[in-house]
Amino acid sequence: MPVAVTTDWSFRADDVTKVYKGGVRANDGLTLRIEPGEVYGLLGPNGAGKSTLVKQVIGLLAPTSGTLAIGPHDLVAHPEVARQLCSYLPQAQMPIDAFRASEAIELTGRIRGGDRATVRARTDALMDALGIEEWRTAMGLKLSGGVRRLVGFAMAVVVPGRLVILDEPTNDIDPLRRRLLWRQVRALSEQGCAVMLVTHNVLEAEKAVDRLAVVLDGRIVAEGTPSSLKAEDRGRLRLQVMLVPGSDTPESPPWLHSAVRVGNSLVTALDEADAGHGITWAQGLVDAGTAEEYALGASTLEDAYIRLTGHVSDDDEA
Amino acid sequence: MIATLDAPAWAPTTTLRSGAGYWWTGFTWMLRWHLSSLRMWLMLLVMVQALIGVGYVLGFALFFDEIPPAAALWVSTGVPVLNLILLGMLLGPQLVAGVKEQGGYDFVQALPVPLTAAAAAWYVVTLVGGLPGMVITLVAAELRYHPPFAISPLVVPVTLLIVFTGTMIGYALAHAITKPMTTQLITQALVFVAMGFAPILFPAEQMPGWLASVNEWLPLGPMATIMRDTLTDGLIADAGRAYLVVTVWGVACGWLAVRALGRRR
Repeated sequence: MPVAVTTDWSFRADDVTKVYKGGVRANDGLTLRIEPGEVYGLLGPNGAGKSTLVKQVIGLLAPTSGTLAIGPHDLVAHPEVARQLCSYLPQAQMPIDAFRASEAIELTGRIRGGDRATVRARTDALMDALGIEEWRTAMGLKLSGGVRRLVGFAMAVVVPGRLVILDEPTNDIDPLRRRLLWRQVRALSEQGCAVMLVTHNVLEAEKAVDRLAVVLDGRIVAEGTPSSLKAEDRGRLRLQVMLVPGSDTPESPPWLHSAVRVGNSLVTALDEADAGHGITWAQGLVDAGTAEEYALGASTLEDAYIRLTGHVSDDDEA
Repeated sequence: MIATLDAPAWAPTTTLRSGAGYWWTGFTWMLRWHLSSLRMWLMLLVMVQALIGVGYVLGFALFFDEIPPAAALWVSTGVPVLNLILLGMLLGPQLVAGVKEQGGYDFVQALPVPLTAAAAAWYVVTLVGGLPGMVITLVAAELRYHPPFAISPLVVPVTLLIVFTGTMIGYALAHAITKPMTTQLITQALVFVAMGFAPILFPAEQMPGWLASVNEWLPLGPMATIMRDTLTDGLIADAGRAYLVVTVWGVACGWLAVRALGRRR
């Protein structure tokens, strides 16, 4: 199968450290590499340092030390080159209140150097492919959050750079159109773009990425394919217990591998052999009035994420 | 480099853009971006500018039973400058602050546009928003006072220079200060302090001597001087120094603005 991949246009971050004024160490020796055609997930809780890395890549922040490069180009020394080689969808909503949807996409494409015919055709194709063609001439102000987000995505990728950075691209988007968006992300990688997906939605990332890194406190604590990161959880189950609001966290039996509480949800992991114990224990909590319900299921990437970060991914829908 | 024949036209390129073509593309499309994103706001801006200008021109006559011709001429030639200063130094920065608050600032900053092209586009936007108000103010002054205007063609480059200097001062402030709220406070304070203590609507001779000398080095008084020089005959004896001061401020602030725009923290 012919794949339009150019050679040696990988994105490299090498030992990137960013210490803010005031001493906060937001990135602490980050090293990673994204190949052309690869969708790479950057996962981690809020404040882990993901956005700091992104802002250094696109030249809004300067690293304290370390290098960033795409192909033969040094992005730290030449932020103006970085702006040409990278396309960026920020997590915040785009400033498109006064634009018609198609106009916002086309203007971005022209600013990024696309010619009239290419940009127009690509805008139409993207709006169709994302299922937002009926809002072509609607003003940004009138768009729902999800449609606005999709217009933003189209703006970011209408004339894509070698590295496409997507920060929480599916926020506010309905499940059906999320799937359409992921298809376009895959189309970008097929044309040789390196895609950096920044997210804290682990379940969604599991399906979308080729490789991923888990970032915590400015460091990469694990890197690999989704299945390699799940390897340690093979043979394990996840037991999730919904506690009664206000109740204390019950003491964990010794056969539970981890227990993380977020709000009223207690997420734990246990060996398949201990499934019986788990059900008895959880049912006991329900009977004692400590818990409302529980669910036992196969372990996911989320369990690896919880094990690595001590956080539950913030968004449960996927 | 390997690329297949069926790669679409939008596929990512390895060629970097540069030179005059790159600058021009960035300038024209950034300009269109601003004009589109501000289209509602620009109309409002022109109306507010006209209101401020006409209000000042008409309101000043109320200080007198019969406004002396000299006062009428000073006001008629000062208010258009007031229009332009308000525009570049107050409204421009507040607009940038507004965009920062909306959160889309990072996206616009990350677009591949040369910094000087981005600044130039912003300058033209300011001109588009400011010139109608200035013209309306002058027309109102003419209708109300019939002052002895002697408009020289130099009024065009002088207006461009005043707007440039005002815009770049405001633009540098807006991009150099991280917090939008701080930008708004500082530019408001700056504009009102500067306007109260700068000889824009009245002759510098009526100020304390030391304040008049300070103003010779600041941009606002000289802006009014060079505008007067092109709108009247004989009101200004020697405007050479004023031209120089405004130009130096413009160049310096233009340089600062581009630096602030490209600054990484």
